[in-house]
Amino acid sequence: MDQRAILDHQFVVAAYAITWILQLGYLAWLGFKWRSEKRNAERRAGQAR
Amino acid sequence: MKKLAIGLFPAITIALMVWGYYQAIYVAPEEQTMHEAQRIFYYHVPSAMVAFLFFAVSLCGSIGYLAWRRSKPDLAQASDAWALAGAEVGVVFCTVVLITGPLWGRRAWGIWWTWDARLTTTLVLWLIYVSYLLLRRFAAGPQMQTLAAVLGIFGALDVPIVYMSNRWWRTQHPAPVFGGGPDSGIKDPAMLEAFGWNVLAWLCWGLLILFLRYRVERLHQQYEAAEAEEALTSA
Repeated sequence: MDQRAILDHQFVVAAYAITWILQLGYLAWLGFKWRSEKRNAERRAGQAR
Repeated sequence: MKKLAIGLFPAITIALMVWGYYQAIYVAPEEQTMHEAQRIFYYHVPSAMVAFLFFAVSLCGSIGYLAWRRSKPDLAQASDAWALAGAEVGVVFCTVVLITGPLWGRRAWGIWWTWDARLTTTLVLWLIYVSYLLLRRFAAGPQMQTLAAVLGIFGALDVPIVYMSNRWWRTQHPAPVFGGGPDSGIKDPAMLEAFGWNVLAWLCWGLLILFLRYRVERLHQQYEAAEAEEALTSA
């Protein structure tokens, strides 16, 4: 493998890894937000009773 | 049946993502001039397509909110939730585009960034929708949703400009993949197939997180409405 091929490969890996970090990071943040909203709704339901 | 569909869709999406990755890395042949760096294209272009689609969802939601905010408040709130979900998920995909693009550009052009029309209008589009999200996060009061809807509509006006930019102006960005004249299009069937699978996979992934974001926002709206109602009755 020459230097150019190694660099090309590294750039592809970086692009794919960054894409997945962003997408999965956003999904995790959504999960936390979902849980927080569910807790708020349950707390409100508890107070109403 | 609905529960089965809800369970099945994420499973199909994950399978498509794995298949799309396999196609892009192992099946699609290496491009002759850009070599392996061209494989970035299989994530970059579908992300741009999905971002444009979701900014269109945000546009429809914003129009719906403005149209129904007085006559049909429930429908207006649902529209507003779609507008927010479209903008936020669109920004995530647009961020992917703005990161993977320069990574490819560095290998193909030798530079990370250039202020050509396609890149600049994409950055402007991203900045507009980040402003939209900041407005929604930090502005308070009853006018916030209306202001956000107006900004959402103005932001969407940039989408056709981004799409047409490398047709209207001479740019360093590569020529359009589709609809750019007789020479446009992917010639190699294996590359086209890998590209198609990745478009489908990213579209399914995008729809999955778009729907999740919509549900979270609806929960938030219900909570805020209940809080407001309680404040009114206790006053």
